[in-house]
Amino acid sequence: MRPLTPTTLRQHLLCAGGLVLVVLTAPFPSLQAVVHSALVLTLAPQPGAPLTGALWALAAGWTLELTLRLPPHLGGTAWADLTLVLIAGWTAARWPLDGPKDWLTRLGALTVLHVLLLHWMVRLAAGPHPWGWSWLWTLLSLPLWAWGAWRLLHPAAPTGRR
Amino acid sequence: MPARAARRRWTRAAWRRLALVLLWLGHGAWVLVGPEAGRRWTHTADTLALPAQGAARQWEGWRARRRDDGRSLQDLQAENIRLASDLAALRLREAQEAPRLAEAEEALRVLGLRKLIPLELSAARVLFSTRPAAFGGLILDQGRDHGLVEDQGVLAPEGIVGRIWSVGPTQSKVLPADAPNASVAVMLIRSRATGVLQGLGASRAHIRYVSNQEVVQPGEAVLTSGLDRVFPRGLLVGHVVRVERGELELELTVQLAAPLDRVSTVLLLPPQPPLEAQQPFVQPEQPKPAGRKKGTP
Repeated sequence: MRPLTPTTLRQHLLCAGGLVLVVLTAPFPSLQAVVHSALVLTLAPQPGAPLTGALWALAAGWTLELTLRLPPHLGGTAWADLTLVLIAGWTAARWPLDGPKDWLTRLGALTVLHVLLLHWMVRLAAGPHPWGWSWLWTLLSLPLWAWGAWRLLHPAAPTGRR
Repeated sequence: MPARAARRRWTRAAWRRLALVLLWLGHGAWVLVGPEAGRRWTHTADTLALPAQGAARQWEGWRARRRDDGRSLQDLQAENIRLASDLAALRLREAQEAPRLAEAEEALRVLGLRKLIPLELSAARVLFSTRPAAFGGLILDQGRDHGLVEDQGVLAPEGIVGRIWSVGPTQSKVLPADAPNASVAVMLIRSRATGVLQGLGASRAHIRYVSNQEVVQPGEAVLTSGLDRVFPRGLLVGHVVRVERGELELELTVQLAAPLDRVSTVLLLPPQPPLEAQQPFVQPEQPKPAGRKKGTP
């Protein structure tokens, strides 16, 4: 049984809330990285509207970099988010979800890919620079925010528990 | 044909795909140019901004110079105002000090005259003058309290003024020599001819009782003769300004030497002074000594 696709208005509202959280969690970079990944990988991708998802992802990337004031050249995070949201949308359209386990597995793969792309593209944009442990917190907290996003996007869908 | 046109027509999905591609490529290009591009853009912008910065620098320099000039002008104006006020204050002080200065000068001259005349002279100050009025005179600040009596001669450094006409307790009145009812015994300095000076007013007088046989020229000095026992012999009275020959006597008009309108300090002669008291104010012309002969010592 496939879950129902969330309404466009609900998804936009969730994306806007996620964007506000990205701004509000700026004093806590680890938490901000988790919120940012959840916004880009779970809330922004829309199988039927890739442009809308891309715009939300770009907004998330630029907001993150602007709140962190990453010198000396911005744009790497936004480019990685744009790429990832297009890949996520394409995978969602290509392989529709069957349940929370598929969702969690796919999010895990996308998160790893997102971390790698993010590091690479930011390095391209701003040059070599030290990284924190935000990516680790993002991976460790993946089950938590993946489950939360699933409940927000598909409130009527089964949780996977028997 | 319609099918080909439909194929050529861009659908909304195509536009969205194009926007996505452009967004992705644009971000990629922006990322790939790296921070050096930003520096190059900054350098280019700085280069392009050089003319504007130069103009702004010129503008600021012009404003600073204008401000400094204005400040200098204001300083000069303030200094001018201060100097003008100082000048006005000095002029006011000079005007305030002028009477005292004139009085001091007058006192000095009186003191000099007092040293010249070997008599016991006393000084007095003229309080005011009533000469323009009929039978007017000069009011002195001394009277019987200083031992003044009537018919004391009154002198100024330039010449005689008159005599004391009346004496009050603290003030006294001087009858000037140009009063119609005043008379002074005088003599001419060259001919030594004597006469009586009678006032005509306005610092003028005429001399009576000088024979028309005398030779008198305008400009000749007139001295007191001492015969009236008011003035000793040899005090300067005035100078002859007009000479006319009458039937029996010369009609001589004299301009009095003392400035009766401006005199402020006078000297008082003692009563009944001696006939010879001093050398005359104006020395008579001495004949030039004859040239020495060669060989004489």
